[in-house]
Amino acid sequence: MLRFLARRLLYSIPIFFGVTLITFILFNVAGGDPAARAAGRYATVEQIQVMRAELGVDKPLINQYFDMLRQIFSGDFGRSWSSKQEISRLMVDGIGPSLTVTGPGFILSLLITIPFSLLIAHKRKTFLDKATVIACLALTSVSSVVYVLAGQYFLAYRWSMFPISGWDPSWDGRWQYAMLPIIIIVALSLGSYILFFRTVFLDEMFQDYVRTARSKGLSTPVILLKHVLRNALVPIITLVVLQIPFLITGSLLIESFYGIPGLGDLIFKSIQEADFPVIKAMTIVSAILYMIFQLISDLLYAVVDPKIRLG
Amino acid sequence: MVRSLLLLFALVFFVFGCTKKSDYPENTLQYAMRGNVSGMDPAFRGDEFINEVIANIFDTLLQYNYLHRPLKLEPLLAAAMPEVSKDGLTHTIRLLPGAKFQDSDVFPGGKGREITAQDYIYSWRRLADPKTKSEGWWVFDGKIKGFNEWRDKLVKGEATYETPIEGLQTPDAHTIVIKLTKPYYQLHYVLTMQFTAAVAKEAVDKYGPEFLNHPIATGPYMLESWTRGSKIVLKRNPNWHGGTYPTEGDPGDKEAGLLADAGKPLPFIDTLVFYEMPEDQPRWLNFMKGNTDYSGIPKDNFDAAMSSRTEVKPELKAKGIHAIIYPYPDIVYIGFNMEDPVLGKNKALREALCYSFNEEGLIKKFYNDRAVVLHSPIPPEFEGYDEKWELPCKHENIEKAKELLKKAGYPEGKGLPVLEYTFSQSSTGRQMAEYTQQQFAKIGVQLSLAGNSWPQFQDRLHAKKAQMFGAAWGADYPDSENMLQLLYGPNESPGSNNSNFKNKEYDAAYVAASKLPPGPERTKLYVKMREIFAQELPWIPNASRLGYYISHAWVDNFKPHKMVYGHQKYMKINIEKKKEWKAKL
Repeated sequence: MLRFLARRLLYSIPIFFGVTLITFILFNVAGGDPAARAAGRYATVEQIQVMRAELGVDKPLINQYFDMLRQIFSGDFGRSWSSKQEISRLMVDGIGPSLTVTGPGFILSLLITIPFSLLIAHKRKTFLDKATVIACLALTSVSSVVYVLAGQYFLAYRWSMFPISGWDPSWDGRWQYAMLPIIIIVALSLGSYILFFRTVFLDEMFQDYVRTARSKGLSTPVILLKHVLRNALVPIITLVVLQIPFLITGSLLIESFYGIPGLGDLIFKSIQEADFPVIKAMTIVSAILYMIFQLISDLLYAVVDPKIRLG
Repeated sequence: MVRSLLLLFALVFFVFGCTKKSDYPENTLQYAMRGNVSGMDPAFRGDEFINEVIANIFDTLLQYNYLHRPLKLEPLLAAAMPEVSKDGLTHTIRLLPGAKFQDSDVFPGGKGREITAQDYIYSWRRLADPKTKSEGWWVFDGKIKGFNEWRDKLVKGEATYETPIEGLQTPDAHTIVIKLTKPYYQLHYVLTMQFTAAVAKEAVDKYGPEFLNHPIATGPYMLESWTRGSKIVLKRNPNWHGGTYPTEGDPGDKEAGLLADAGKPLPFIDTLVFYEMPEDQPRWLNFMKGNTDYSGIPKDNFDAAMSSRTEVKPELKAKGIHAIIYPYPDIVYIGFNMEDPVLGKNKALREALCYSFNEEGLIKKFYNDRAVVLHSPIPPEFEGYDEKWELPCKHENIEKAKELLKKAGYPEGKGLPVLEYTFSQSSTGRQMAEYTQQQFAKIGVQLSLAGNSWPQFQDRLHAKKAQMFGAAWGADYPDSENMLQLLYGPNESPGSNNSNFKNKEYDAAYVAASKLPPGPERTKLYVKMREIFAQELPWIPNASRLGYYISHAWVDNFKPHKMVYGHQKYMKINIEKKKEWKAKL
């Protein structure tokens, strides 16, 4: 196990440098000159030159790359070009609101879709199964913008069930604003999750061990929950663990429309304003989170499935 | 599964149980901005969202009269209008005695101290200091004696904030004397801009780069809380030096109820809440629900809101909602790079393109008719504007355009290389570019579209790499000079003259006008520049927009103008009316 961990960590090093290098090339080489913009609309050549030095973009590219690595290791990504706010602070401030919405949304989605998928997999080819598959296909074929806009218009505006948009940073106050986005997240994931989990469970339903369990006279709930569910955990873990980085970075569209000041909203605005330092920092942090959680999911495979030998 | 569903419902009901009513007192004005506030340092950046908020926190020396149109200057933190020497080179400004900063722990004992002339000099030095990375240095750049020299020395480490500057003097704590290098008749307009507001050195010293989150100033309101990306709450500043509602206005203001509070002490509202809401739907729905008191009209909601250019739909009128149209002086145009070998040397080609362009279609399609056709760089109501004067090619004439194209050496577009149109990438930007492409195609001119991110767009303009480009310019102050400088030769790229237009007569007129105070002689020069523009056609001028607000019945004293920030101190909420009307929404 330790050898596996060490080897995976070693693999991560070239991936890390690959990610940082691609990000660097994208933003520092192909991204244009930030100084002209930062210097303002009446800037002279001399002012743009001064700004270039201030931003460090007049240095050789290799030095700029090392500056970026230093930022990553120190956790100090500098300040945003557009807002001049500290990027690390913007990120820390955004994690809470993002997780408040995406975390419960994701957990609720799993709590609803996993048992339901298990049930319809068991009831394969019945009316319930067929109707669910059709409904799920319909749900997934509707654009997410429709859910966001329609949810806001009907549930919040027309029927006054929730606030239209907004945020309250206090623990008590935030839930009234988070509830509708959570419901939208659940609605958005229902179709795709049910179809995915159903397929995963169906793959397991026809395995020999299920037939053996049945012939041994085990009850259906025991077969489904103790055997099928357990054996289907590998793809479920993959989905769940690899989803976590995206929960942290939030939902761009939902946060933007519902006024949730999370990381998704931060990314959305940074892209709109071409605020490269923020986009760069978020790209790197997302990539690193993804690498970490991929490692965790690999380790968890061994825990849930002894057949997988790490090392 | 049943257990999961029960859990979900339990959570839903728990949350419904937590739903709170409004957190704000009754006398609160709520407004949703269509953008975000990035920081509250007045030196930093002058975008409309920052200004909308900080104009309530930072007082400037001068302000525009709330009711007079065209705009008229009046003192705010100055005791009177500046005294100007005969040669126009020395401006003496006396400060309102006794005006104090808000209470804050940055001051000894937590009590706000009196603002002095030195605070202004410190703030303006800060604006000049490249370390501040201010976007506002242009307001003083090259205009005040010794200021640029001090800035250069500061960069080299040869000067400090204590080093005297010849053109910025404070003979006593309440007097500022500004000595100019040349006449600068826009100086007084500039003194209304937030860039020139005074900051407290104690606050800048304490918070350093975080000062942008801790605005401490002298205005009618002060920052209570800021949930970044969501909302900003300001509350009344008890230390404010005071002010009264104007006692005179324009004809019609009295009848419109805009003088009902004449002479009364300001501000009327206790709490201001600014929501940061860039998306149109939540902004619109919040207004329609009465959660915000007034709003802009999103492009996609315009037809649902307005039955004509000036009237709201009857169903909105029945809810007490009304529209307010206000001056929004900006210009939208297509610029030609006059250094481009194809376009720059061929006036007939530029004219042909101008004749082929239907700007009325553009105004209808992209601005819901909320704009007027622009004929020159001078927008309506500005000095030198004449509504009877028209640029001949602003009337679409395809036959004439084809004739001119032939004269230009490209009959039916034959032989003309594909022209490139550079624009700032956005969904509307692309649609406008495609519209332009369709217009020119009518006479056989092919256009390739080059969408760029905003920084890349600016890079291309600064590097003179754009053959033609879509651009807009919002006026910084109500003087045509602010638009005409966009074609002044020495301002060529990377300056603001991105058309790289150079015309000796135009430049001479511009320099001569800059030495004159507002008046007929200066207007004559502006008109001359307009005529040269018409002869040379370095742009296709397209439109000048109009501003629209929509407001609930309970909002009083609302007379907006694009360049007048801080109008919230004049506004008033009729609480009884609000209860009555809100019930009908």
